[in-house]
Amino acid sequence: MTDTTTATTTTTIELSDVGRTYTRGKKEVRALTGVDLTIKQGEFITLFGPSGCGKSTLLRLIAGLDTQTTGEISVFGSTPKEASARKDIAWIPQSSALLPWLDITANASLSNVINTKADRSGATTRRPEDAGDLLGEIGLADFRESRPDQLSGGMRQRASIARGFAQGAPLMLMDEPFSALDELTRDTLRIRLLELWDRHKKTIVFVTHSAQEAVLLSDRVVVMSPRPGRIREVVDIDFPRPRTWELAETTEFVAKVAEVKQILWSAWEGDE
Amino acid sequence: MISVDALAPVRRRRRRIFPRTGNAALTVGAPIVLFLLLALVWQWAASTFKSVLPPIQNIVTDIVGRPDFYLSNLGVTVGSAMAGFAIGISVALVLGAAVVHFRFLRAAIMPLALLLNVTPIVAISPALVVAFGFNDIPHILVAALTAFFPMLINSITGLRAVDPQALEVFDAMAASRWEIFSRLRVPSSLPYLFAGARLSVAAAMIGAIVSEFTGSSKGIGAVIVTATTYLNLSQMWGAIFFSAITSLILLGLVGLAERLTVRW
Repeated sequence: MTDTTTATTTTTIELSDVGRTYTRGKKEVRALTGVDLTIKQGEFITLFGPSGCGKSTLLRLIAGLDTQTTGEISVFGSTPKEASARKDIAWIPQSSALLPWLDITANASLSNVINTKADRSGATTRRPEDAGDLLGEIGLADFRESRPDQLSGGMRQRASIARGFAQGAPLMLMDEPFSALDELTRDTLRIRLLELWDRHKKTIVFVTHSAQEAVLLSDRVVVMSPRPGRIREVVDIDFPRPRTWELAETTEFVAKVAEVKQILWSAWEGDE
Repeated sequence: MISVDALAPVRRRRRRIFPRTGNAALTVGAPIVLFLLLALVWQWAASTFKSVLPPIQNIVTDIVGRPDFYLSNLGVTVGSAMAGFAIGISVALVLGAAVVHFRFLRAAIMPLALLLNVTPIVAISPALVVAFGFNDIPHILVAALTAFFPMLINSITGLRAVDPQALEVFDAMAASRWEIFSRLRVPSSLPYLFAGARLSVAAAMIGAIVSEFTGSSKGIGAVIVTATTYLNLSQMWGAIFFSAITSLILLGLVGLAERLTVRW
């Protein structure tokens, strides 16, 4: 292996001057501009901001689902599309997006039947995990043979997260996976996610529009603002782990959430 | 820790043609009462306008008196309809898959398919008899043509009706075109394909019968034409009765196949 691979053992993702401009007819819309960011291996990082700030666009660029119009993105030392072709990226969408004709176990092990070329060629660094075990870990042990339409929204979301972890990819990208759930379910799943992240040692990039969720989950919060979408500030979150619900009740936590929100408010005042 | 979301599993409700009232007497009784009322109106009309409708007992006597006559002709029609149905939906499925994947094929095929759909099959049928002669081929082809269009439209709609977020999951793993087609598009489209098959099977029966109006001495269509010639009202309505019942059974069979395949 070359020097580049040694250099990327601690750096998972590097973005330099990344921008994405959409052309609608004659109008150009800058969805994202001037993004510089380095994400370390094993880090839990959230992209936080209001709608239109480009956080989902940024996540799609890292996933290789979209291509930037300016700048460079490196994922494990290669382009996002190459990393995706190696199956080194797991994507967890906003809705559970389970396949209704497969049972929960088959859904959770989807990565084993897709892009099998990457597995056969040995290009991938993923270490697939047993879907049944993961479903047990996330509290769906009794529902392994159920079909998605037999589960509640929160249970489907768990199955979707289990599918992401079962892929065994070192990098996981989550696009507001809890935004459609009720508050109590959301609280439970946030803690479950932290447990899984801690146990399975993943790098997670998580998109959210909830400051509370961002502060509770992450090592660093990337605060973004719209028109054009860009990074305002990157805030370190130093609360000890493992984190639980109790943390969210402390004054330090509430202060941190306020601090993160304040960055956005001051950004808006500056705009006007 | 209580897991709030793990309470009652939810079950999606199937769409039903026959409503469930929760009351067996109502579900079975109501249609029977209506049916008997209509039968009374029929009998009254048959005794008043003798050249319009035959009395029900005459139709029953005719059917019971020569079941072989009806069933053998019905067999011919169902044979043409099913062969046409098989050909029509096969071509529609192949073209549907092609149209979804290649934009130029969509541009080329869709106007022709629409033109075919608005062309009256009664007009095509005699032309096919002239071309292929007095055998089953023209009837099979007409049935195929009528079965083709509903299946084409439904297969295109179905193959495109993919959950965009599921597609993202596939794309993020760099799924191949074939994997997306076989593991996502085809299963997603199954409810649409069965809806298309239901329309197509009924259309194939109509196509086969109508095409038998010309250039055929066998089949339900030919039986109706003969009955018209001799003003044999009982035979005419006997034939109509058999074709309606058969279409109903065929619809039921497609529904059964759907229940066995689409379990979500």
